[in-house]
Amino acid sequence: MDANKLDIPEDLDTIVEEAEGQDESTKEKSESLTFYHTDLYDSPDKLTIFPKQELSEEKKPHIAKQDLSTTAEQIHSDLQKEVDHLAKQYGISDDKEKDEQPFLTSVPYKNPETIFHKPTAPKREKKLLKRNKSIETSNKISQNQNTETGTKTENSSPKSSVLDENGSHLSNESGQLGHHQTKAPEKDGGCVDSEENYIPDIYCITCKTPVKAFDKLFGVHKDHEVMGITAAVEQKKEEMRKNMSKLEEQIVQMENFANHLEEIYITVEENFTRQEQNAEMHYTEVMDMLNTKHEEKLQTLGEEKKLKLESLFEQLIDCGKSLDTSKDLMETIQGLFKEKDKATFVKTALHTTSRLNDYFNTDINLNISTNAEYENTHIDFTEVENLLESIHTVPAPSAPVINPQTPNSATATSLRVCWSLFSDDTVESFQLYYKPVCDCAPGEDQEEFMIKSKETYCTVTNLMPNTQYEFWVTALNVTGASPASENAVYVTAPSPPIIKSNECRSCENAALICWESGNINPVDSYTVEIYKATNGTSDDSVTESIVGIPICESLIQLQPNQTYSISVKAVNVGGPSESSKSVSIRTTGTFFHLDEETAHPLLSVTDNGFTISCAEEECLVDLPYYSKKFSRCIAVMGKLIPFKGKHYWEVEVDENTQYRIGVAYEDTNRNGLLGANSTSWCLRHILTPSRHKYEFLHCGVSPDTRITIPPRRIGILLDYDNDKLSFFNMDIAQHLFTFVCQFCHMVHPCFGLEKPGRLKIRNGIPVPQSVLLSS
Amino acid sequence: MALKEISSNKCFEGFQKVFEHDSTELKCKMKFGIYLPLKSESAKCPVVYWLSGLTCTEQNVITKAAFHQAASEHGLIIVAPDTSPRGCNIDGEEDSWDFGTGAGFYVNATEDPWKTNYRMYSYIVDELPHLINGNFPTDPDRVSIFGHSMGGHGALICALKNPGKYKTVSAFAPICNPIQCPWGQKAFSGYLGPDTSKWEAYDATQLVKSYSGPKLDILIDQGKDDQFLAAGQLLPDNFIAACTERNIPVVFRLQEGYDHSYFFITTFINDHIKHHGKYLHA
Repeated sequence: MDANKLDIPEDLDTIVEEAEGQDESTKEKSESLTFYHTDLYDSPDKLTIFPKQELSEEKKPHIAKQDLSTTAEQIHSDLQKEVDHLAKQYGISDDKEKDEQPFLTSVPYKNPETIFHKPTAPKREKKLLKRNKSIETSNKISQNQNTETGTKTENSSPKSSVLDENGSHLSNESGQLGHHQTKAPEKDGGCVDSEENYIPDIYCITCKTPVKAFDKLFGVHKDHEVMGITAAVEQKKEEMRKNMSKLEEQIVQMENFANHLEEIYITVEENFTRQEQNAEMHYTEVMDMLNTKHEEKLQTLGEEKKLKLESLFEQLIDCGKSLDTSKDLMETIQGLFKEKDKATFVKTALHTTSRLNDYFNTDINLNISTNAEYENTHIDFTEVENLLESIHTVPAPSAPVINPQTPNSATATSLRVCWSLFSDDTVESFQLYYKPVCDCAPGEDQEEFMIKSKETYCTVTNLMPNTQYEFWVTALNVTGASPASENAVYVTAPSPPIIKSNECRSCENAALICWESGNINPVDSYTVEIYKATNGTSDDSVTESIVGIPICESLIQLQPNQTYSISVKAVNVGGPSESSKSVSIRTTGTFFHLDEETAHPLLSVTDNGFTISCAEEECLVDLPYYSKKFSRCIAVMGKLIPFKGKHYWEVEVDENTQYRIGVAYEDTNRNGLLGANSTSWCLRHILTPSRHKYEFLHCGVSPDTRITIPPRRIGILLDYDNDKLSFFNMDIAQHLFTFVCQFCHMVHPCFGLEKPGRLKIRNGIPVPQSVLLSS
Repeated sequence: MALKEISSNKCFEGFQKVFEHDSTELKCKMKFGIYLPLKSESAKCPVVYWLSGLTCTEQNVITKAAFHQAASEHGLIIVAPDTSPRGCNIDGEEDSWDFGTGAGFYVNATEDPWKTNYRMYSYIVDELPHLINGNFPTDPDRVSIFGHSMGGHGALICALKNPGKYKTVSAFAPICNPIQCPWGQKAFSGYLGPDTSKWEAYDATQLVKSYSGPKLDILIDQGKDDQFLAAGQLLPDNFIAACTERNIPVVFRLQEGYDHSYFFITTFINDHIKHHGKYLHA
């Protein structure tokens, strides 16, 4: 808390002011308090804090001396809000806001009695008023308003709402200002206290606390290890920063994990919902089937029962009838026996006997006509069983849908293939088939490969770089396999390119990087990555990437006198290749290689390509003709970076070596002599019997120039900016000659020998000052 | 050594001025032209002395050579003295254009009646630099010299006789070997007497043979169609041969089609200013 107060220089000033203004402030006391009162009425907030007090004590200037310590903290918090508000409204700068806040937070806790330490109040008020005149005016408005209304009404806000928007705004502000003023004393009081007594400027490591230098010297921290508080702060900040980055990592990890969990959650939920639906459907089906069976059975049984009962009943009736007849006969016979009259008896007996015979002749069936047993015990459950079984057996899935390749998902030897299935399908696994795409005849198909996967993706490895593969997938479950998906063609990332370091060249401001694709099939583009080597440390970070390069070379703008490490990646739809082996580029001077393909057959290039020599005399006959090779001049061309600006290189020669050195357009006549045409410029040195002759040749003509000292180290400055080509004797920094030429396009250094001898080429050296001065 | 400003003209932000003063070496009033580039208003600038040829005054170079733009760009003060004492009332002074007035040959005469006034060598090497350094914002350590024809001879001998005093020297069509040419023989016999061995002290080709000192990078332009070259007055080949032998760096450019005039000088003055700038700013 106290440490915060350190940065309140402004208030230090006010302390002095306050001390001076003490007398004045006492005079102003009553005035300021009145002001305080009226303002108090303006604030609805205040009203809640001082429910009745303002009313009863509004005229008493001693209100501030009231023991308000119980509400002090509340007031304080209100004050703080209002100060913040005020600061915003009046554009009181942020730092002031910062300055003031710590005060407000610190003071009440530390010394509640000083909250209404009045004598300093007017001073603070004055200061605030000084800060912004609009405050002052708004104050006045509110004062007027308040004097009118203050005594009778507690709430001025209805009043202010009568005003236009501005007016109400002002009244609000003024209300807040009033509180701001009440806050002022506590601020100053606290300020005086803390500023004078406690300004920690060092940090005690032992106690882990900021202390004053005084304490270190004489106080309890005397023997403790200390450090500067600024350093301590920096150290702590550094620690915190480290922890923060650790924390950030963790947060990222956790977030990823949470995302993953979320995905799983959703999948599980979906799957189960689907299973639930499935189950319900199937069980409903089974139940329906059972019900049908049940009804059918009941019906069958009912019918059977009815038939049996009916038949039995019929038999029973028949049986009854027979019984009746038998009884009747019996009675008749018994009646006959009682007959006294013999004649009648005989007559009747005859009749009866015939009836009896008739009766006996009718067959009386005493067998039960129907089988009383329950016959049809068998119930056919096969259908139900099938149904029940079908709950467990699911249909074979439909064909999955294979996704097109996700860009940048491939490596040179692996592909991540993704597909999706229909949500209704139940799939246990997938089978991913693939084969390389080739143009070979339809008959001889490439070998197919298959991989099983439980997921809807699969990473296929051991593939050929930059190669197209055809993929299709089937889904399987217990029931069987789905039809195959459509075929999708994926392509593996390319192999890394190979930088042709012999063709890379540079100058102060740029480098030309050339490479071979490293792939048989074409790739989409290349990416160049540039690392700037930082002094001493090896942890290079990519300073710059250039993407979408369609060809196998790139001209890169660089900064002078730096060392760069540059690598290349090949890119196709599958993604980027690994980085190529890097090439180191130093942007000091102009650096180029000789193009040995242009070298005359008699010319040998040695010493890592920077010394040229010729052992035999030129022999014009029998020379095979190569379009790129110099065939007349025993010369070789250097490959200069196609970049304007200044290029400088040197050639070391022997005093008696006869040579032509200079520049030429790339399409200069290779069967011509350097300097003999309009496409080349050169310094020619020949030995005449009398002297060294130096010619500065272009279009076959040279100015007549005498040079008294044969140069042994020739500097050549090609200055595109000024269209000049200059030659120097670098041993004595002597300017020899300058061609003023209109270069139609880029030229390249050329080095030729007139007679057996050798030239040593030096490049990658900065342009010497003497050369710049006289070019 | 009071200087009297004769004229002052703004030129390429600087000023081309002419002053007159009483010369103690030459015992007469002398004029010189001085170009003060804008840069000299804020910093000390190197000085290049231009020595003119036969018949010239300080006016020729300042009006004809068009050196001002290059001098302004390179921040060089160009001082152009007259070519001889004037108005000394010496018998025969005005008799010929290649002896006497306008033909001081930058020697200190030893013969009567010339020896009192015709001390151009000391005037150029000592008195004038003293005067210039005392009155203008110069850097006394960065001085060089060039000239045309007789002035080219003067520039060469001043540089060769004072190793290190002049950072570099250049010349347009200089008289390279006066003891071998009619002009030089006439002048030297007049100013120095019949003893030809004394002449060698003012002959560039002779002086170069004994030169030892800091390397001088000498730039010489010569018009190929210069009538005095053909007449054998200039003899640059002798000088070049001597320099080749003595390993003195010279770039000698024989410029096709140019004659001895100021048109020739104007054409190549920028190369020379740049040459001086290179050594004066190094």
